[in-house]
Amino acid sequence: MDIIRTENLCYDYVTTDDEGNVTGRNPALKNVNLSIPEGQFLAVLGHNGCGKSTLAKHFNAILTPTEGKVFVDGIDTSCEEKLFEIRRTVGMVFQNPDNQLVATIVEEDVAFAPENLGVPPKEIRERVDSALKQVDMYEFREHAPHQLSGGQKQRVAIAGIIAMQPRCIVMDEPTAMLDPKGRKEVMSTIKRLNREQGITVILITHYMEEAAQADRVIVMDKGSVIMDDEPHRIFSREKELKAVGLDVPQVTELCCMLKDGGVDISAEIIFEEECSAAISELSLKKKTADIIREKIPETKKDAEEAARLENVTYKYSIGTPFEKTAVDNVNLTVFRGEFIGIIGHTGSGKSTLIQHLNGLIKPTSGTVFIDNADIHSKDVKIRDIRFKVGIVFQYSEHQLFEETVSEDIAYGPKNMGLSEEEVKKRVEEAAEVMGISKLLEKSPFELSGGQQRRVALAGVLAMNPEMLILDEPAAGLDPKGRNLILSLISNYHKKSGKTILLISHSMEDIVKYAEKVLVMNKGKIYKFDYIDNVFDDTESLVSIGLDVPQITRLSHKLRESGIDIGSDIYTTERAAQRLLSLM
Amino acid sequence: MIKDITIGQYFPGKSVVHRMDSRIKMILDLIYLVMLFVSQTFTGLIATMLFIVICYIISDIKLIMIIKSIKPILPLMIFTAILNMLFIGGEKPLFQWWIISIYPEGIRISAFMLIRIIALIVGMSLLTYTTSPIMLTDAIERLLTPLKKLRFPVHELSMMMTIALRFIPTLVEETEKIMSAQKARGADLDTGGIVKRAKALVPVLIPLFVSAFKRANDLATAMECRCYRGGEGRTRMRQLKIAARDIIAVIIVLAVLAGIILLNCFPIFP
Repeated sequence: MDIIRTENLCYDYVTTDDEGNVTGRNPALKNVNLSIPEGQFLAVLGHNGCGKSTLAKHFNAILTPTEGKVFVDGIDTSCEEKLFEIRRTVGMVFQNPDNQLVATIVEEDVAFAPENLGVPPKEIRERVDSALKQVDMYEFREHAPHQLSGGQKQRVAIAGIIAMQPRCIVMDEPTAMLDPKGRKEVMSTIKRLNREQGITVILITHYMEEAAQADRVIVMDKGSVIMDDEPHRIFSREKELKAVGLDVPQVTELCCMLKDGGVDISAEIIFEEECSAAISELSLKKKTADIIREKIPETKKDAEEAARLENVTYKYSIGTPFEKTAVDNVNLTVFRGEFIGIIGHTGSGKSTLIQHLNGLIKPTSGTVFIDNADIHSKDVKIRDIRFKVGIVFQYSEHQLFEETVSEDIAYGPKNMGLSEEEVKKRVEEAAEVMGISKLLEKSPFELSGGQQRRVALAGVLAMNPEMLILDEPAAGLDPKGRNLILSLISNYHKKSGKTILLISHSMEDIVKYAEKVLVMNKGKIYKFDYIDNVFDDTESLVSIGLDVPQITRLSHKLRESGIDIGSDIYTTERAAQRLLSLM
Repeated sequence: MIKDITIGQYFPGKSVVHRMDSRIKMILDLIYLVMLFVSQTFTGLIATMLFIVICYIISDIKLIMIIKSIKPILPLMIFTAILNMLFIGGEKPLFQWWIISIYPEGIRISAFMLIRIIALIVGMSLLTYTTSPIMLTDAIERLLTPLKKLRFPVHELSMMMTIALRFIPTLVEETEKIMSAQKARGADLDTGGIVKRAKALVPVLIPLFVSAFKRANDLATAMECRCYRGGEGRTRMRQLKIAARDIIAVIIVLAVLAGIILLNCFPIFP
């Protein structure tokens, strides 16, 4: 029996004027026919705005169809008397973990839904305990939500749904705002619920590796389902996926590259185990690849120093039991014009470190030099440093406030006290760099998330800082948005020659754009060098708990089975090249 | 600055006072207020103070917290006390200079008021120090239940309180983030006169409101998904039960109240 079935589902977002007359119809879903059998793990892919969230909201009657029908366990969702029965059957988890927790204590929050359903107190207690155990959060039952990490909060949100004892859970990008560790926690929880409890899972995601773990994948574009198949077959259609702004897992990409290089290998490969097995079966000329590497550039002797940290230590909450050393005796020199990637897991001190560079945080001990001047000395104005070192924070779109995009971008330059013409010039230049020149007269609040992010970036660029620091500029965007924003930053670096520091959880992104990498671990610099030197030994990066690219994990797997393509594999291109040299 | 205010904070603990039923605690706190206003003598007032200090000791709350909870409002209290002293007249002035004359009655009354207000804050703080916010809202909801008959939105009120408590830390964190972001764009939030500072806050407040509305919207949808439909037909996981300790506490507090009233009738000191 299908738990969810849609029949010619259409949905239009209707815009109205002040008097309630319909001024426009914006079709978000067009003729969606879908049936989801009970117990299935279904992943939904599609770029932002393709209608996948709108579709998800139909599954538990948050939205009802403009045309067509949706049935949940045989009940028509437009039937209002059955509303609570529908919502109890199909639970929903959203993207932002903070915005779905209601109560101030974890267990009270999990109890919220059963309380609403009028379940007797004793049974609520049992359901809450069992739900918390299922998501592995039982020991945190008396914590306040704000004391938890993102991944933990998201698991509490899932427990809050499980407590309704639903038969299906719809998750709308539950991992988008989490770090790699949180993502893994949530994914393993989801999989366990599906495998062990037989709960149907519908997972909307931008991460191809997550979708690969599903039983079935549907791909949406412009409000329609354009592909619907088993994940191996979906991802083997690499070109079609890329055409709709999506991606494929790295191993699939590798297999496609090998295939193009004349190797007889299937493209229906999505996991590193499968890929490693398929490669082992190939007839190889030899088992160890010759490692010829380009010469690593040496630091130019005449390189000008842009910033220097000397014995910088920063402690939080000094003198309380919560005292914590966030940055521990860091020495660092950044040269002008470098593009440095910064990685490290959450809590490794990377965000604290960068805020030292524009004086937002004053070190507990140690000195920060920008252009060879101690920024906390008396003759340096800290605001001047802020204009020299621009920081774009995580989810920077949350800082927009002006009526129009151009006014918002102008905020920084105006604070610098520039003349009106100069401000105007800066705004136009920054907008051009970020590709938003056409949006200047719009309100920042009517733009899409990705566009807002670029406006916020332009707002910092317009100050024309000598050093630009970006904290996770691509977080939460779809693959197309990620690539766009990162390549815009990279182009800006090439054109302007400015120093750039980029924090990211994604090593794939860093190796693509940066020349040097700074690895932070427990408040200290674990490694800081050119990419090839840092990634020379990928096993050591795994050992400090970093999330390495899938292709790197594949190279480790291959070595276990006796095929050595080097320990410096972090791009698909390099892996393909080395493997082809073995054929 | 926000972090220095201790009023309304909760210090988790396992003392008898912590474990008492929050409804009873709230009612007893009201009786304590009555005590303060009933006592007409210094002896009575001091006895009440002594009583609350003992309660602090039983609750394992450090006495320094008493001082901390008074500190932020001390200037205001002293100001009122001085005003009282200046304007309350009597028969024989103790001190006279220009148009200022201070009478012994004035000193007496303002000292009395001062102690009373301090005792009031100290007593109220003990309630929040030893009761978690969720227990407090719970107690309020249950104590106000009779008002439902008068169509007073008791459940909605307590839901609002819970959500407010839930989102205060989130919004404080968010404010700090936005402030950092705007400072990085050269915002000058720390210097200048009141008008300039207020204007400088606009770039912080607007994003904060925008995000608060977005959060409210998301939360409403999430609550709908979890079958929320108001207080109608709702059950509660946590059931409040009155234990022996609650009854003993009621007896003790009532005894103290009786003592205070007796002191009024038969003052030891005039």
